[in-house]
Amino acid sequence: MRDIVIGMAGSGGDGIVSAGESLIAAAASLGFHAMMTKSFGPQIRGGESSCRVRLSTRELHSSGGALGVAIALNWEDFLKFGSELRCDDATVVIYEAKTGVLPEHIPLGNIKPREIMAVPLAELTKQSAGTEKAKNSLVLGLLSGWLGLSQDTLRKGIQRRYGKKGEEIVNGNLRAFEAGRQYADAHPSQTPLRLDAPAAATTKILTDGNDITAAAAIFAGCQFFGGYPITPSSEVMQFLGKEIWKYGGAVLQAEDEIAGIGTAVGASFGGKKAMTATSGPGMSLKTEILGLATIAELPLVVVNVQRGGPSTGLPTKPEQSDLYQACFSAHGDVLRPVLAPTSVADSFHCTVDAFNIAERYQTPVIILSDQEIAQRKETCDPIDTSKLVVEDRKRPTPEQLEKYTRFAASPDGISPISHPGMKGGAYLAAGIEHTESGAPSASGAVHARMNDKRFNKLLPLESWSGAVTVAGDAGADLALIAWGSIGGVALEVLDLAQAEGLRLKVLVPRLLYPVPKEVYRSFLRNVNSGLVVEQSHQGQLYKILRMELDLPKGLVSYCRSGANPIQPSEVLAKLKALSADARRSLS
Amino acid sequence: MTALATLPPAQFKSELKPIWCPGCGDYGVVQAIYRALSAIGRPPHEIAFISGIGCSSRIPGYTTAYGFNTVHGRALPIAQGLKLANPDLLVLVAGGDGDGFSIGGGHVPHAIRRNLDLTYIVMDNQVYGLTKGQLSPTSPKGLKTVTSAYGSLESPINPLLQVLSCGAGFVAQSTPADMPGLAAVIEEAIRYPGFSFVNVQSPCVTFGEEDQQVKAHKGRMQSLASKGHDPADYLKALELATHYGVELYTGVFYRNPNPPATYDAQVRERQAELQKTAVPRERILEMFQKG
Repeated sequence: MRDIVIGMAGSGGDGIVSAGESLIAAAASLGFHAMMTKSFGPQIRGGESSCRVRLSTRELHSSGGALGVAIALNWEDFLKFGSELRCDDATVVIYEAKTGVLPEHIPLGNIKPREIMAVPLAELTKQSAGTEKAKNSLVLGLLSGWLGLSQDTLRKGIQRRYGKKGEEIVNGNLRAFEAGRQYADAHPSQTPLRLDAPAAATTKILTDGNDITAAAAIFAGCQFFGGYPITPSSEVMQFLGKEIWKYGGAVLQAEDEIAGIGTAVGASFGGKKAMTATSGPGMSLKTEILGLATIAELPLVVVNVQRGGPSTGLPTKPEQSDLYQACFSAHGDVLRPVLAPTSVADSFHCTVDAFNIAERYQTPVIILSDQEIAQRKETCDPIDTSKLVVEDRKRPTPEQLEKYTRFAASPDGISPISHPGMKGGAYLAAGIEHTESGAPSASGAVHARMNDKRFNKLLPLESWSGAVTVAGDAGADLALIAWGSIGGVALEVLDLAQAEGLRLKVLVPRLLYPVPKEVYRSFLRNVNSGLVVEQSHQGQLYKILRMELDLPKGLVSYCRSGANPIQPSEVLAKLKALSADARRSLS
Repeated sequence: MTALATLPPAQFKSELKPIWCPGCGDYGVVQAIYRALSAIGRPPHEIAFISGIGCSSRIPGYTTAYGFNTVHGRALPIAQGLKLANPDLLVLVAGGDGDGFSIGGGHVPHAIRRNLDLTYIVMDNQVYGLTKGQLSPTSPKGLKTVTSAYGSLESPINPLLQVLSCGAGFVAQSTPADMPGLAAVIEEAIRYPGFSFVNVQSPCVTFGEEDQQVKAHKGRMQSLASKGHDPADYLKALELATHYGVELYTGVFYRNPNPPATYDAQVRERQAELQKTAVPRERILEMFQKG
């Protein structure tokens, strides 16, 4: 087979996530395309934990639908993940025999899995390794056998993972792996599970959205990060805390979210590229200073890794419900660019784009990531960074510094920006409205003129070539629009549609705001029906599009609250129904 | 860093006309800052002056230095980010008692424990002037204002005691009633290598109490030097600070005789040490490669 999703769940101590990590690392070095999402209960340690690993010989866009293989170390924990670990009649279910549950009584409701195997996981581990702690290595052995994954690669992974813990632990895990492998050989699955070999064992990058965002910031020349720990974005600060010093930069863990963005704005005023990262609650606190960066025309990149809200909401689960906040949360008239990455690899590009936009237009830019992309591990092809442009803010020339006017009018609304230390460039930056020279002003005429400046300078962004990704059949009258991690689901829906001969086109915006109106108009010109799919209760993008554009009547919202994955198959079914309805009403 | 021996105080005065009421204490503070900066000798473009919101927070605009008049209460975080971005700058921070000890109060202990080389000047007038006469965090208990019609029920914050207890390395107080003294403590604060704090009792002529005006200050102020206080004596400084709101002491309460390394200096050291281990930016993704 070419594509399989393996879902595993257990309690914290079972090491199920570490089994997933080993599996995806091995798969990546074998040349598979792979993706891994983790999901945890709210407990700090222990509690239930799970992961989904999808392996494929083709490029992946989402973490997939129903599980091909489900592994339950105990049923109680497995069931807590609900639709995150959905099984169907094609699933092979493997579970701990010690649970005492008979195969005909497994608690999956009406679902009749294709195959059910009760395996004495704990017993086999104890016998082989002498401790139940090596259960994750036993599971790896089982999967190595049933999927036909290279034993050597997995063994090497085990050696690397446990090397620091001493020989005894390494050997125990290797024995558990072997026991799993032998069990799989002695109990072949009735269902074919062996994976085809990947096309070529090419070098792959394996990382998650948060780490690659931080790496992209360094690539883009970021030299300051101020932030406050918050799930699920803390890894951005953690990565930069290790790396940014090497590039002459600094990370400051601030006393609160406000100080986090405050220090970043200060660094940007000081002439350095600066970033902060947070999640919904922190974003709420940062809002006032976002407005300051807008009116003072200071470049700034703000990452919001969305989680379920409002308030504390679902801190460890994905949702796309912060779009209104990103676009509109500041008092006063503000136009603030909002970008959303669609995958781990795109998080790199999106971050570089965000820095470029921030620097070019002297504005704060929000990167609206989500927990799924931020914390999922994914293989990507190496990125050729020599092809990427890194922009810097427009600085004043020596002539301009002779008589410097910080907010001088210019045809494109962009004024050269000085920074402290630059001789001749001294000016007053302020949150208060100001004239071209920076002098505070309460004049309505000045306010209107400066609002014009701050809005007009961003107009070219609407025709930015990176604003959207369009795929599928350009002539189709059936459309699918989705953003962020759900954008990946949309691309998978397109694959399914094409396989069934359904004519469909897909638009995945990377620039959420300002809305690239002409791009949408041209995409929607021949569209009769379709879906805007989002993981939020309200369908916020759909409503923003309705506000800014005349949408075809048949283009409707399809949305659902966070932590309830949207499956490619259900979107396809909905699209088919819409398409059929549209045809019926036409004929 | 450029050191200019003779830049007169007037070189630090901008063309903007202050919005302050005639007779406001802040006029004296800005004059004292011009004098202190003249004595320090750094040119205006190497100085950045960060403030929050309030009457006193207008002050950066009245200097020829780079200024950033930010949002209410957030001058300290913004100044710290700036100092880390460019440690060569001379960074001044200013604001009122409301900005520093009410809405921005959460930042003060952290700015102090981090110990960047900044000078924080608070113009403390025990009232909210810009919003026209409301209760402030340093208003004396029982004060009747437009938001405390029957007298305030809470005790004031003691800024001196608070910053001393947080470990600030330099703590001083003055008043525009003593211009030479005010300019001198501001200069000394700037020269202190680390976080320095100057509480200026800066009278509000419009909403302030009679006994808080310049004239009253002249009669009440007592210099710490004349009392024989040794600024290296931390415990004595704490004791003297407890008289805030009762006695008007001027001069240096505390100057750490052994200033510890500043945060910004440590950051520079770390950068210098780790820069050797950097892979080129363009190859940053190689650390994620498999196979």
